[in-house]
Amino acid sequence: MSTTELQFVSRRARDGRSPIRFVAFGLAVILAASVLTARLFALQIASGGRFVALAEYNRTVNQAIPSTRGVIYDRNGVPLVTNVPGYSVKVRPADLPEDRRPEVVGRLAALLGLDPADINIAIDSNPGSRFDLVRIASDVDPGVANFISESRLDLPGVEVVVESRRDYVTGSLLSQVIGYTGPINAVQLQELKPEGYLPDDLLGATGVEAEYEAVLRGTYGVESIEKDAQGRKIQVLRTLAEPVPGNSLELTIDVQAQRWAQQALEWGMSEAGLKRGVVIVMNPQTGEVLAMVSLPTYDDNLFAHGISNADYEALVANPNKPLTNGAIAEHFPPGSTYKLVAGTGGLADGEIKATTKLATKGYLTLGSTRFYDWNRRGFGACNMMCGFGHSSDTYFFQVAGMLGIDRLAHWAGEYGFGEPTGVDLPGEVSGIVPSNQWKLETLGTEIYPGEVYQAGIGQGYDVVTPLQLINAYTALANGGTLYEPRVVRNVLDAEGNVVQAYEPTVLHELDVDPSVLRTMRQAARNVVLIRHTYNLVDLPIVVAGKSGTAEFGTRDAQGRLPFHSWFVAFVPKDPAKTAADPTGMKAVAGTESELAVLAFAYDSRTRGNAATEIVKYYLQLHYGIDKDYRNFDLLERGNFYQSN
Amino acid sequence: MGVINAREARVTDWTSRSVGAIWRAFDLQLATYAVLLTCFGLAMAYSNAVAGGDGALATGSVFLRGLLWTGIALVVFTVAAAFDYRWLKTLSWPLYALQLGLLGLTLAIGTGVGGSSRWVSILGLQFQFSELAKILMIVVLANYLGARRGRLDSIWSILGACLLAGPPWVLVMAQPDLGTSLVFAAILAGMLFMGGASLRWLSAMALTVLAMLPFIWTYVLRDYQKLRLTSFLDPLADVQDAGYQLYQAQIAVGSGGWFGKGLTNSTQNQLDFLPVQTTDFVFAILAEELGFIGALVVIALFIALIWRVLVTSWRSRDPFGTLFAAGLASMILFQLFVNVGMVTGIMPITGIPLPFITHGGASLISIAAGLGILESINIRQGRAEW
Repeated sequence: MSTTELQFVSRRARDGRSPIRFVAFGLAVILAASVLTARLFALQIASGGRFVALAEYNRTVNQAIPSTRGVIYDRNGVPLVTNVPGYSVKVRPADLPEDRRPEVVGRLAALLGLDPADINIAIDSNPGSRFDLVRIASDVDPGVANFISESRLDLPGVEVVVESRRDYVTGSLLSQVIGYTGPINAVQLQELKPEGYLPDDLLGATGVEAEYEAVLRGTYGVESIEKDAQGRKIQVLRTLAEPVPGNSLELTIDVQAQRWAQQALEWGMSEAGLKRGVVIVMNPQTGEVLAMVSLPTYDDNLFAHGISNADYEALVANPNKPLTNGAIAEHFPPGSTYKLVAGTGGLADGEIKATTKLATKGYLTLGSTRFYDWNRRGFGACNMMCGFGHSSDTYFFQVAGMLGIDRLAHWAGEYGFGEPTGVDLPGEVSGIVPSNQWKLETLGTEIYPGEVYQAGIGQGYDVVTPLQLINAYTALANGGTLYEPRVVRNVLDAEGNVVQAYEPTVLHELDVDPSVLRTMRQAARNVVLIRHTYNLVDLPIVVAGKSGTAEFGTRDAQGRLPFHSWFVAFVPKDPAKTAADPTGMKAVAGTESELAVLAFAYDSRTRGNAATEIVKYYLQLHYGIDKDYRNFDLLERGNFYQSN
Repeated sequence: MGVINAREARVTDWTSRSVGAIWRAFDLQLATYAVLLTCFGLAMAYSNAVAGGDGALATGSVFLRGLLWTGIALVVFTVAAAFDYRWLKTLSWPLYALQLGLLGLTLAIGTGVGGSSRWVSILGLQFQFSELAKILMIVVLANYLGARRGRLDSIWSILGACLLAGPPWVLVMAQPDLGTSLVFAAILAGMLFMGGASLRWLSAMALTVLAMLPFIWTYVLRDYQKLRLTSFLDPLADVQDAGYQLYQAQIAVGSGGWFGKGLTNSTQNQLDFLPVQTTDFVFAILAEELGFIGALVVIALFIALIWRVLVTSWRSRDPFGTLFAAGLASMILFQLFVNVGMVTGIMPITGIPLPFITHGGASLISIAAGLGILESINIRQGRAEW
């Protein structure tokens, strides 16, 4: 060893290069390696394949295969709603770079003829994640769809898919009954996700489409697809479950009856310049709704094509509420039609007999307040036939007074007032039947005696839906059975076989002697016979019914209130007039009524009862009566308040 | 003094040694482990290129670039081994200036993601100078600390070393490149420790850094860095964004099992689930495709490599050699632990590459240069006394 090297060796000891630090470093290396190995072991071996499953899940996803939504027929098998294939344009927000969004949205808007704001709203209100598709437009013109799908580079994140769209064959005729489907919102998605709903799903929003969503939707199938991290489908691996098409519905609605009802109502409204009206036609023996028209209305196809926000806002803002089914979703004072309740109650509770005569006059005095009859001369001594027939207010003030508010409320309840009828449509309201308890709970005071009088003639607090009112009269017509009204009759499978038939549902039987209802039916026939309804009696068929004039709102300069007109009628079985029964009294004594019709004219203020004329026109159309009995002059509009 | 001594040794060694002696002094084991690790890296590049869909040999594919960089790295290694490392001591200050220059240049003209400047494009190839800066940092520190050997008990030696490392550290943080700045710190700490610095002062320094952490957290770190640092604690809390890579990396690693899915069979990679699989997260795909056994082999190769680096450190009679090897060992160990730890979810995401495995020319060339210098140190330690 040279001297130099010796120098080096001896110096090494002074370097402070300590073996202990090398050992320490070595231990650190071993420790680090051990930690990493242990961690790898934990992830790769000890995890027991959990991550294998996760990786597999990353690669393959189960994706829903939409089922075909059931279609809808009328009671005679006339198709009302069908499915047609159409191009939809959708956007996957994750694939649309934010800085290119204005440009892409602008281009899409121009291509689709939409407002860019609507597209932005659709994207921003997407209930799913950024990776889920958002529907921008349905039923896109094939040429435009083709152009969009070929412009992928200019329109990042935009996809064109073929999907089935609802076609509402009868347009606006049945829009409020059938309803439409609309995109699922975030709240609904949260709730319905477990049932297989997808972020870009459509579901029934209103009407039968909403009420029978579960029936119509069917069961979505499942396919296993391979996807990449962007969620793009690479290929279908296998189908795990075939989609089960939704069942179809057969409505109780007769599309022909619906057309007649709409025609009659449209005539009456245009003749009298009315803004709103309702016509309902029912079968009193089953509770089936044959026609239900509420005007103004809208076209379900607007929604099927994807309604613009501006159009939708216009519908919502329309003061005549085209989106509201006036037959069930709103309640109005029933006026004199409600005298059925006081009459039935008075007879049933023995306060009066059919023959009991009460003095009717120009007004009754209660304390210092006068309660006027619509006829300021009164009708003299009147029994039920006379009182109901002339619709004498003072007669029914007295009957209501005998019963008191709570007995009145009881009999209103017997006829189904104050509760939703349970019709298979969404959005039904319950109406109000005042009672002492009700007033204490809502207004904090007891009913005043004058309010009992008002309640007896369907004014004051009483409000009913048109459907409640016609349903009460069907119970009268059929001898006391209150049915749950229906608009759907049968559920059909794809082959048209009935898989479920909805039998008429009885809500309850009225707790009265049949003679009471017979008296009331004959009294209703008397309304027609004494020409309280003008020439309705001249029809070649037997019609019984009750008109009503219900004041509402605020008085005009002459102190007159605007008013709604009602008429609710029923027709006995085989209604043609016979020589053996010239008055039809025998016919209405029976309980085999085959038809009930109601018309409601909102804010009518016509010379005569507009609703009666509308019902008359409907009956002419329904029974093919060629001679026209309509009184056009009665539909002259001003502010007439002549009769009940 | 040190410089003069070393020069004496060089003259005597160089003249007295034959090519055979040089070959015997060459650490073949070290080179073998490095080559094997490079092969793993190339295999992963191949797998990634296939996953990319354009084929392994398509123009500009990750694999092709990997081959190119490997070629360059071999040249760099050979040149560095042949070059007498002792010149590095002479050139220490110019090299320090070069380091600062490169980092300054990166800051000035570099490009990167999200407003950072990390890469400089040279002839169309992106190069990360901060990788080279790591090796230069080791050279500069080895020279400084080697010259002060015997005086490393002094606080002034430690503070001097910190002062030396400070400017490059600041430049790297400004890019911002948290990962490289941490590697600088690890190199400094490892070299001080192995150089024999006073444990008392080292502990005091470590405590000071710990005490400064809240300050650094609040004023130095950017929001995304904080998010990346914390998301490893609960990757599932933010699966779509910050935790996404981490979560997908763990799925990749975890789904590998004992033997893996086989090269190029990674589903996480093929279907693009792992966003930066070609950079810092390659080890996840390696663990997925080659399994626990494959990952273990790679870790074992790293341990063997670090062992050979430490052997060089121990054998070197020249304090510069001892310290340079210690710095290199610290760097490799730190990057191994943090990168694999990050991929497996026990360390925060800091953007530290795994030497040899992570694709990237700068990393491979820097490590080749470092190992070349190491071989140069081995060769020039006079007659073998082992």
